Amino acid sequence: MSRRYDSRTTIFSPEGRLYQVEYAMEAIGNAGSAIGILSKDGVVLVGEKKVTSKLLQTSTSTEKMYKIDDHIACAVAGIMSDANILINTARVQAQRYTFSYQEPMPVEQLVQSLCDTKQGYTQFGGLRPFGVSFLFAGWDKNYGFQLYMSDPSGNYGGWKAAAIGANNQAAQSMLKQDYKDNISREEAVQLALKVLSKTMDSTSLTCDKLELAEVFLSSSGKVKYEVCTPDALSKLLVKYGVTQPPAEA
Amino acid sequence: MVGKNCFAIASDRRLGVQLQTIATDFQRIFKIHDKLFLGLSGLGSDAQTLHQRLVFRHKLYQLREERDMKPETFASLVSAMLYEKRFGPYFVQPVIAGLGEDDKPFICTMDSIGAKELAKDFVVAGTASESLYGACESMFKPDMDHEELFETISQALVSSIDRDCLSGWGGHVYIVTPTEVTERILKGRMD
Repeated sequence: MSRRYDSRTTIFSPEGRLYQVEYAMEAIGNAGSAIGILSKDGVVLVGEKKVTSKLLQTSTSTEKMYKIDDHIACAVAGIMSDANILINTARVQAQRYTFSYQEPMPVEQLVQSLCDTKQGYTQFGGLRPFGVSFLFAGWDKNYGFQLYMSDPSGNYGGWKAAAIGANNQAAQSMLKQDYKDNISREEAVQLALKVLSKTMDSTSLTCDKLELAEVFLSSSGKVKYEVCTPDALSKLLVKYGVTQPPAEA
Repeated sequence: MVGKNCFAIASDRRLGVQLQTIATDFQRIFKIHDKLFLGLSGLGSDAQTLHQRLVFRHKLYQLREERDMKPETFASLVSAMLYEKRFGPYFVQPVIAGLGEDDKPFICTMDSIGAKELAKDFVVAGTASESLYGACESMFKPDMDHEELFETISQALVSSIDRDCLSGWGGHVYIVTPTEVTERILKGRMD
């Protein structure tokens, strides 16, 4: 490993790699995982909560899922403080688009715009890259439901199912095996919970270690972003047989 | 106009340039959220732009605070935004009406550079404002329920705008209670 080439973010190594970006991805590999699955009537996002102390009193209701606009939400993995900055940027970008064009920002355009911001930190300024990966879930009238994954380098891709954070490779290969095109939203929730339960490190799987959110069209045709309540989530865990009682093998 | 645990906000429907009428269905009252409405009288273009800017600010507020803005806070926001343009103002007079804490009705108006005028009974704005002041003062009673409030505000609006050559083409009334919002169109002198 050529350590002498990794102190500046803005230079390539002799092998053509950007070390700072790769180190950022390492940081994410230690963070709580998140999985996103695209179904024909919605997008499902599931996240593993790493901080579960009873003493914790959060100001926001969710740790991993955030609403960007009425029709776009995201799940994060990585350094939370970096994520907060980027989420705020994304929210302002979405509103600025709506102000100019008086219609909701297309999902890919938002992802691209945010990734352009992230890319800037790998090419100029002398600042380190953001240590966050995102899973964006949204709906627009051009392409319907979409799921995008982006990483610290500023690369992004559209996915049918994706995983970020700890054990993401294991989760990704499990998703590859079990994902079928045209699954329903319910089946997607089941698949996401099953995969997350297998890749999570913790011994017990209770509703306070997970977050589940869905983006779907309500009966009136409007896009809705809903975070599952802890009670509903426990019922789902029991229903799909993935719950493991705490302090028991 | 304030009623018992409810409020009503009404406007005329004419958009005109001096003597020429451009539209007879112009939307002057905008919903910010279920319990907050904003009416903007004055220059049509400034009304629309100011509304769009306020939607921008309110949506970001909703995302960050995870709740809707209280009417009092919104009024302060509008006032600040208008004063920002102190030396090149928006030519609008806003009327803000909403249900605040415990669904208590809140109304206020301001001039085009953001001077707030809070009132407990009614607020008016626009070219027929003097006439409206008179009509509301004589017709208003405190603690009206939403049916009576609708009648009162409609009569006050129609009688004032019918006498004003620059307002008209009917009225648009919103009655807002803690549980529902009713929107009604009134027929006045269609000129």
